[in-house]
Order: sequence, then C-alpha cells, then structure tokens
Amino acid sequence: MEKSRGKIGIREFVAVVILTIGTKMADDTPAILFEQMENAAWMGPLLIGALSIIPLYFLTNVFTKYKGKNLFEVTLYLLGKPVGYCVLFFLWVIGGIAITIDSSIYTDIIGTMYFNKTPTLVLYAILMGICAYGAKKGLEQVGSFAWSVLFWIKVSLFLALFLTFRQGNMDFIYPFFGPGKWEVLKSSASNLSIFADFLFLSLIAGFTASPAVFKKGIWISLVIVTIELSISLLSFVVLFDYEPVKMLNYPFHETIRYINLEFLPNIETLFFPFWLVALFIRFSFYLYLNALLFGGLFRVKDFEYLIPTLATLFVFLGMIPETPTFSIFDFREPFLKMITPIFFLFPCLLWVMSKAKGDMKT
Amino acid sequence: MRQSIFQKLFHNEKYKNQQFSEKDSSEEIAVKKQTISTNLNENLEIFSKLYLIPQNNDVNIRRFLVQGWHKEAALLFINTISDTNLLEEQVLKPLSKNEGTFQSVEDIVTAPGIKRVQVVEDVLIEINRGNAALFIEGDQQVYITSVSNFQGRGIDKAENEVVIKGPKEAFNEKANTNISLLRKKIKTESLIVESMTISKRSKNEVYVLYIHDLVDHELLNKVKERVTKINVDSIQNLSMLEQHIEERTKSLFPTILYTERPDRASSFLEDGYIILLMENSPGSLIMPATFWSFFHTSEDHYLRFIFGNFTRALRLLALFITLFSSALYLSVTNFHAEMLPPDLLLAISSTREIVAFPATIEIFLMEIAFELIREAGLRVPSPIGPTIGIVGALILGQAAVQANVVSPMVVIIVALGGLSSFAIGDIGMNFAVRLSRFFLILCASVFGLYGLTAMFSIGLFYLLSLRSFGVPYFAPMTPKYTSGNDTVFRSLVWNEIFRPGYLKPQDMKKTGDVSNGEKQGQNRN
Amino acid sequence: MRPLVKSILSLFLLVSLSGCWDQTEIDMKAFVVGIGLDKGKNEKINVTYLIANPEYGSQQGGGSTNEPATETITFEANDLIASRNLANTVIAKEISYDLLSVLIVSKELASDKNFIRWMYDTTKDREIKRNTPLLITEEEASKFIEENDPKLETRPHKYFELMFEHGTETGLIPKSDLIKYFRITEADADLFLAVFGTNKHRGGGKKGDGYLIAGEFQTKGKTNKTNLLGSAVFKEGRMIGKLTGEETRISLLLNDTADLPDYLTTFPDPFNKKFRVTTKIVKKGKNKIDMLYENGTPTLKVNVPLTIEVLTDHSMTNYGKNKVKRDRLKAYLTTRITDKINRLVTKTQKEFKGEPFGWSLQARKNFLTIDEYEKFDWMKTYPNMNIDISVDIRFGEFGRQSELPKLERVRD
Repeated sequence: MEKSRGKIGIREFVAVVILTIGTKMADDTPAILFEQMENAAWMGPLLIGALSIIPLYFLTNVFTKYKGKNLFEVTLYLLGKPVGYCVLFFLWVIGGIAITIDSSIYTDIIGTMYFNKTPTLVLYAILMGICAYGAKKGLEQVGSFAWSVLFWIKVSLFLALFLTFRQGNMDFIYPFFGPGKWEVLKSSASNLSIFADFLFLSLIAGFTASPAVFKKGIWISLVIVTIELSISLLSFVVLFDYEPVKMLNYPFHETIRYINLEFLPNIETLFFPFWLVALFIRFSFYLYLNALLFGGLFRVKDFEYLIPTLATLFVFLGMIPETPTFSIFDFREPFLKMITPIFFLFPCLLWVMSKAKGDMKT
Repeated sequence: MRQSIFQKLFHNEKYKNQQFSEKDSSEEIAVKKQTISTNLNENLEIFSKLYLIPQNNDVNIRRFLVQGWHKEAALLFINTISDTNLLEEQVLKPLSKNEGTFQSVEDIVTAPGIKRVQVVEDVLIEINRGNAALFIEGDQQVYITSVSNFQGRGIDKAENEVVIKGPKEAFNEKANTNISLLRKKIKTESLIVESMTISKRSKNEVYVLYIHDLVDHELLNKVKERVTKINVDSIQNLSMLEQHIEERTKSLFPTILYTERPDRASSFLEDGYIILLMENSPGSLIMPATFWSFFHTSEDHYLRFIFGNFTRALRLLALFITLFSSALYLSVTNFHAEMLPPDLLLAISSTREIVAFPATIEIFLMEIAFELIREAGLRVPSPIGPTIGIVGALILGQAAVQANVVSPMVVIIVALGGLSSFAIGDIGMNFAVRLSRFFLILCASVFGLYGLTAMFSIGLFYLLSLRSFGVPYFAPMTPKYTSGNDTVFRSLVWNEIFRPGYLKPQDMKKTGDVSNGEKQGQNRN
Repeated sequence: MRPLVKSILSLFLLVSLSGCWDQTEIDMKAFVVGIGLDKGKNEKINVTYLIANPEYGSQQGGGSTNEPATETITFEANDLIASRNLANTVIAKEISYDLLSVLIVSKELASDKNFIRWMYDTTKDREIKRNTPLLITEEEASKFIEENDPKLETRPHKYFELMFEHGTETGLIPKSDLIKYFRITEADADLFLAVFGTNKHRGGGKKGDGYLIAGEFQTKGKTNKTNLLGSAVFKEGRMIGKLTGEETRISLLLNDTADLPDYLTTFPDPFNKKFRVTTKIVKKGKNKIDMLYENGTPTLKVNVPLTIEVLTDHSMTNYGKNKVKRDRLKAYLTTRITDKINRLVTKTQKEFKGEPFGWSLQARKNFLTIDEYEKFDWMKTYPNMNIDISVDIRFGEFGRQSELPKLERVRD
C-alpha cells in the first residue's frame, strides 16, 4: 500500500514498455524502415531485436548488480560526478528531442488523418495536457493505466492485423531479401536506436519491485515488441506491396483506412481511440522519465511539479517546424542514426566501468 | 503555494473564524464531571435539573423503599425508550419485596445486565440509551440496569439490492438487530463489535465490526482514528458518517461501500474488511472499498459460475453503454460520419434534417429530460409513480420526435444509455457513472473521438490514483495483489483460495486443499 | 471554486455550441456517392457528382418524400479536390466524400496519357478511401451517371455496392479498387483490370453469353440500361484495351491474387453439337507456376487446377453413369479451356505486351533481391516468353439428380 508507493510490478512494467515501443509501428518508424529495406523491412525489427540483446545484456547485468538504483545514480557512481552529469545531461537533451519529434509527428497524424480543420496547437495542447496529467499522477498510475488497457489495445491491433492479412497477399514479400542481405543488415544496425527506449527504461530500474522484475521485464518486452513490430511491418507489405508502401507516410493509418469489416465499410475510427490511448500512455511515460532525469540533474525533489512546465515547453518546441511530415521526417532519420551508437555503447561503458571498479566480482 | 491562492480566491474563509454570542456552559460541564454523592435527594436534584423535570414529560423518577435495608431508593429512566414492564419485573418488584438485609443490589435485582457507575456524566449516557439508573440512599454507586427498548421496524426485505437467489433479509434501523443478523451468519468468537461514541451532543454511537484474527490491525487503527477524529455535535446515520470519513469528499467516485444486505456485509467481514454500523441506519459501511466492490452484487456469487459471470458481462456492457452511448453518437455523427454503415448514415441524416437543434443540444435535451423523469419518478408518491414512467417515456419521447425537437435516433441512444444505467446497482457508482457521462458528452461534442478518448484517459488516470484507506481503487487487478481474482469476472468458487492481499489479512488462505466436493478423497498432489 | 467552475462550464458550452473546426452536423453534408471524371479542355477535367438524397426511401413509416433519389451535377474543375468547393455554388450542403462508393471514368479520359496525374489526387484527399471501386465507361461518365436509372435499387450507394459485389462473384467483371490500381501501376509489372460498363446499346449479341462486352448484352423489359460486363485493361496507369466478359473470367482464373472463382458457363456438348452443357467452374487451389530461364527466353509453366460440375445434360448423355463418356467430356473440356487460355495469353503478349494475371508475383519468388528482379524487367520480358499452359480438370457433381431417363423411352 503506501509503503510500496512508486514501485511497479512486472505486469505494469511490461505493459508500459510494450505500449511505448510497440506504438512505433503506428507512426512513421515503418516509413523509415521501408525506405531503406523495402519489402524486407519486416526483418528489420527481428535483426534490431537480436542486435539489442548485446547492450541490453550489459544493461540488465549492471542493474541487477546495483539493487534499487536508477540509471541516474549508477551513472554518477560509475563515471564520477563531472563526467556523469555531462552524460546524463546529454541523455536528457536526447530524451527531450525525442519527445518533441515524436509528439509533433503524432499530432501531425491526428491532424492529417482525422482532424484536418482543428488547429495543430489545440490538438497538440490536448495531447500533451493529458499526458502531463497522467505523468503527474506518477509512475504507478501510468503503469496501472497501461496494464488495464493493454488487453483491449492488443485486441484491436490483432483485429487490424488479422483483417490486413486476410485482405493482403502473402506473395508480396518476395523477392525475399528486398534490397539485399547486406543492405538489410546494415540498415537494421543503423536503426538500432528504435529500441533506444530501453536505455531510458533503466531510469526507472529502481522503481520496479525488484531487479529481477526489471531484468525479466526487459527480456519479455523485447521479445514481444520485436515480434509485434515485425508482424505489423509484414502486414503492411502484404497489403500494399513494396513500391506503394514506401510512399506512405503513416502505413498503419493507411492500412486501417483500407481494411473493412463486413457491414462496416470504414473502420479506421474504430481503431483510432485505442491508438490514442496507447499514445497517451507513451507520452505520459516519456514525460515522467524526462522530468525524473531533469529533477535528478538539477536537484529538484518534487520533480512531478515540473511535468506541466516541461510539457508546455515541448508543445512550443514541437510547434516550430512547419509541415512536420517532411521537416521532422528529415530530421528524425539522422537523429535515429545518431542515437544508435549511444544506445549500443553506453551500456557497455557502464559495464566496463563497473568491472573496473570491481563490483562485478561478487 | 498555488493551493493557497485558490483558497484565497474562491473560499470564504471568514465564516470559519467568526465569533458568535454563545451561552457559557462551563457550569453545566462542571456538574457533569462530579461524582455521585451519598445523599439521594441531592442526587435526584442534580438530575432533575439536568433533565428539566417535570417539564420533560417522559423522564420519570420513581421513588420507593427497599424493605430489607430500610433505605430510600429511586429509579430514573426515560419511559419512551425503556421497557417499563421489564423494569417492574426485574428491579422494582425484587427490591421492594426484599426482606433480607445482607444481599447486595446485584443479588436482588434479577435483570441480566447490571453495572455500577460513579460519575454523573456516565449516568446520563446510560439513561439516554434507555437504561434505568438505580439510586440508593447512602450509596455512592449508581446501578444501571439495561432495559432499553427503542422502537423501530422489524426486519424487512432488501429493497435496493434485490437478489433472486439468496437471502432476502435486510438491515433495519436498530443496530442491535443488525449485529444480531451478522452474528447469525458468522458464529465465531473472533467477531468483535466495538462501539465508539462519535458526536459530542447527540452522543451517536458507531459499532466497528471486524474479525479479530483476520483484520489487518494497521488498517483497523486507521479506520478507528478517522472515526474518532470527527468533531461534530451530531452524526445521525451512516450516510452522514460516510461523508465525514471518506478520503476524497469532492470526488465523483465513492470510496466506501454502503450495503443494506447483511449477507454481503458478512462476506466482506470474512475477507478481512471492516464494517461500521450505526443506530438509525438500515445499512452498513464497508471499508476499504475498491472499484470492484461497487461493480459486484452479492448475487454474482449466489448464481452458478457461468450465470454469475454472464450477469457480470452484462453489467460491464451496461456500464460502457451508459458511459459512451450518447458521447459516441455525437462524435460519430458530428466528426466521423464515414464510420457508419451507409444506410444508417443516410437514415440518421434524413431524420436529422428536419430537427431544429444541433445534435449536441438534442442529446443534452434528452439526457436532462431522462434524468428529470428519473428523479421525479423517485420523489412522486408511489401511487402515481407508474404514470410518470408512461408519461415520461412514451408520450414525451414520441411527441418530441413528432414535433421535430429530437430525432428518433437520439431517443433510442439516450433511452438505451439511461436504461443501462439501472444495471449498475450501487447508488454511489450509479451517480458517478451518470455524471461522468456528461463530461464525456461535452468532450465528444467538441473534439469527437479525440475528446472522448482524452476524457476517458483522464478519468481512468484519476480512478487509478484513487485510494480507499490506502488500497488502490483497482486492486487487485492493477497493482496486482494475491487474491481470489474476483474482478471483472469471478473464478470458480473453489479457485477463490485467497483473501484479498491488499487488506493484508492475517490469514491469507480461505480454502483448504480440498474444497471441491467432487474432488474429495482424491489426491490433489 | 464557483467562479472557476462557472467559467470552465461556460467556455465549454460556448465551444460546443459554436460547432467548431472539424465538427459538421451529419445533416449538413451532401453525400457524394459517385464521382464521374471526363476529359475537359486544357488539361482540366469535367467532374460529375452523384449525390444521394438521404430523405429518399429512408423513412419507414410516413414522411415519404417526393424528392428524387439522387442529384447530379457536372462542371469543369482542375481536380477532384478543388471541385468540392466549386460544387457548393450550386449544392447547398457541404460536399462530403464519406459515402463515396464508385469512381467512374470515361474511356476517353482513362486512355489519356495524363490520366494518372488526376488519379493520384485521390491519395491526397482525406475522405477518399483506397477501397473505392473504379469503373470505366464507354461513353462519357457524366452521361453514364445521368442515364443510369435503376428501377428497384434506387438508392445509388446500394445499387453500386450490389452491382460490384455480384458482378465480381460471377467473374464477368474484375474486382478493381484504387489500391490495386496504384499497386499494379507502381510495381510496373502487371496489367490492371478495371470494371467496364455502359448504358449504350450497340447490338452485336450474336455471340454466346460470356463472349460479350458491356453494351452488347441484349435485354428486353422495363429495366435499367446500364450493364457492367468485361474489363478495361490498364498499362502503366493508362487504359490500353478491353477484355470481354469471358476473357475477364479467364484472366481471373489465371490470377491467384483474385478471389477463388466460381462461375456458371456453357460449352458446346461434345456428344450433340446442337446443345450446350452448362457447367460450374470452381477453382479450389492455387495455380502452379514455374519459371525456367535457362537459355535466353524464359519459359513459364502454368498449371490451372479446376473442378467442373456439369449442371445440364440436354443431349441426355448421362455423364454421371458413364465413365467413358465422362473421360471424353473431360478431354474435350481440357483442350477447349486450354485453347481459350492460350488465345488470351497470346492476345496479351501480342496486343497488350503485358499480362493481367499477377504472374509477376510468382516470378518474384525466383529472385532474392529487388535489384535482380527489377533488372529482369518482367514487363519487358513477358511478351517474348514461352508460356506453357496446362489445365487439370476434376469433375465435381453432375447436378442434384445425376441420372436422366432415356429420351426414347419417354417419347414412346
């Protein structure tokens, strides 16, 4: 009860991770992968998932060593104060940019696909307002929220995928290796950062019920998310074929606009609310993490009160670029490539430092 | 910081600190604190003054002589709340006819309950409870015999929580009866009934019931602390008490369960919950309460596994229909018309064409009309009750459609939502759902499904942050606790092995290894 | 708290009553069911809207209306999107494509080299769905829409929905929605088939039932003149020819991306040339397609498995009881069907220089990367390929009652 405040169990942890990373199939991430890997894009998440095992192994290893500690404390401890602060500040900036980019993309999706005439600022403000409200309630609430809606979101996704596969044609996955084996491997490796969220997850490693929960949660969700992303990408190819799918900005939304369910000709608005809920969870969680990191960096104890301010900041930052579809898209791709080495090397660095300090022995 | 600005802006603080010209009652308080003297007349004078005898009509003083001791004695009681026959049989007769000289009062008086008190205040409390006080010349003790006899109605059928298959009796306004009903169901010495006086003037009593070797004592202390912290002159019944002890007084959602069914209360007791009873309340308060306890009815468990879960599924459906039907209609027709099957789309469009108001107004008109009919139907004297239903539902709806005030589709939607709301039995939850529906409608009318989803998310976030005596509102679903898994659906009776873990009961398991009759004798490994 | 609550509430009411942004009352929309596109002057197009009247036939009890079921309007516009506002100079309500259930294009515009430019407008508009069917008409689309006059299914969306649904079931028209048009055009390997229809009558119905194309089918009685039959062939997003009803059926038989067909058709009776046997052709499995490319020209081996049910027996042959006759019928049907398929394949190779059978998808399996596949260039290679068709026939049932009496005995 009160004693366990702020701690989340494995169900909530996995639910949050699945919803934050799994939602990526419904934004422009598939578009980036399709651009580079064409019809073999569905292999991308599998390869990315496989490659992520290395940094995640180090990460979980480090955090099972330091029980109850977060990324913040561990970094400071292992890298020393000045370097640690710099690194963490850098991470905070990356996190902030990611929130800004992603939220403005999502606002753009809502705007272009569903609400053409409503001003972007209003849509954006509502989105961030709700996420700020959720984040302010605390990690436990975000986790519980995720768990309580997870089933319904996945049911709706499953229905969408089922209808897509039924109306699609499996032959579209050929030629099997798309642009070529090496191409696929190369662009998978460079887009490793799609799973960079896992790194940020270690910020709440100390808030999970036990280090075992954190470790188990990471592996379970990695498997689920990898499969989910891969199957969704496959479904898009199967419905559209490789050439058209490259031209779609938001394949998921085009997909749900095409499929139909017996007497209901247009069911995209059936999936829209579920997608929105997943979205709210995702950004609530991001905001919470960002505020947590910020609070740690600048020694703000009740960091929850920062969340509304940060949310407002992100809204205004996200409003700056015009036609987010393109400017953000152009920005996001190099951004993803830039984070990749960080995601890959940072856990290794932590592990090596931990080893050097001799903590890994026992 | 922000809080204080808001308070300054919106709260009228001045009333709280205002000085009133009040009568000084320190003298009276001093009298009440003193002990009983040996002088009978002096004692009676004190009490006559306090009770304003003889203006006070039903307070009686009966003087008599105790033969054996040659002492004056007096009985003080309030005849409207005491059993005078009992008094005569068990106190007056034995005392006045007594001829022995050495017996004590306890030996002579045949009443089963008798105790001694010394302080005026305590005597007053007992008399006000309907007991009789026996004063004896030269004795510093006052003998209290329990002869109280308050009037009330008998045990009736439960009216608000009706079940088809299960016990029908309900709590009534007498606390003793209620406790007796509970004791009838739980025959154990561990069932403790503690009583506490909570109000200063009316001296209302609260009975705290719990099972001693199940309940989490930390939780118990918390409940007791909340109850004793109340500082008011009078709390008439449980409904008032609920508002004094609940956690979020301005919240839409209730956090304490009120039930009029003793069987339901006892099943909660047996799981380690705490129950409050009061005189004058035909019901009980159960705490802590989770969302599920409001969602469930006792019949869910009385019906067989599948039937019980079917009603649960229906209730869940009803909950969603009540919440979303109108809001969904608004958002779909005003924002996402492409979602409708073409024939329905054209049908709605054609009926809407001749309606004067925008759909939002239409929905609000009908929703408010429905709530009015409902409230009016509740208040009208019962002979005209059915008429209201007919007038309201049939004539109003039909005429409104014919007069092009609303479209027939809206009548269907609102009626369906209204009807479904009756499936949520608990009155607190019922109000909560009906009111939150209006928020959803508002948001849906402005931002369609986006607004609807946003409002729903806010609501869910809010619900998840609610706690009842430290227990999360959606426990044990999330956060997870070991429990009987009785949330949306219930499991088989013999699979409900554990008591709810969020209560931290002293004994977690409530079934043994073999709890299924068919499996009796088989080795379950 | 009171002033705060009041201000929030009034704000909410204000916003909700003013009907803001994306909110449109459902009765304030004019639902366009069909859009017709014709060639206009100076790279413009003539847009025709077929607008459904919601009041027509929707009220069950009373409230019937004298208004017509539809309203049509034709005007010149730059594209499909600008036309929405232009239409409002005449139409009172806001134009909405929510109910759009058919896109009708005249043959003239579809054959235009710039046709594809206008087609891509449909991917820009939010309300146009990719599952909207495409219909090519012999005459101008505006004329087609005006003269289309269904007698019973007077509500247009229902009419088109049912026409397409049952037309594709019989295989006389292909399933053609926008997603398929874009997919095939962009993959640049196959030909796209669109539904072909007209309400002009040309006569020329001397051929059998399936050999016709829209406009040749003769009907009498009081019914709609519109008929949808056969298909328009598109290459690289542009119409290049037509297929008759029968050819459409055969092309669907050869196409694995189409729904498994189930057709009723007739063949001359091999035992008595005066009569024809009616058969039901069912395709139960997928075609087997192998590509061999050893020296120079690749060879494509296509095996079509068919199940045939013989439903009439005018020559009173009693196939069901006689194995020898059954085998003869089978051999006859095999050669006949193979013949027809070969004729169509040759036509596509010679005339269209591309195939509408979706075979490129099967060919793709032979390549590992997109690069290799694109270098092979299916569209260019196809016309010179050796195509080896084989048909496997299995007999299903021979009607509900398989045996017939001997004719001589009845006549006796």
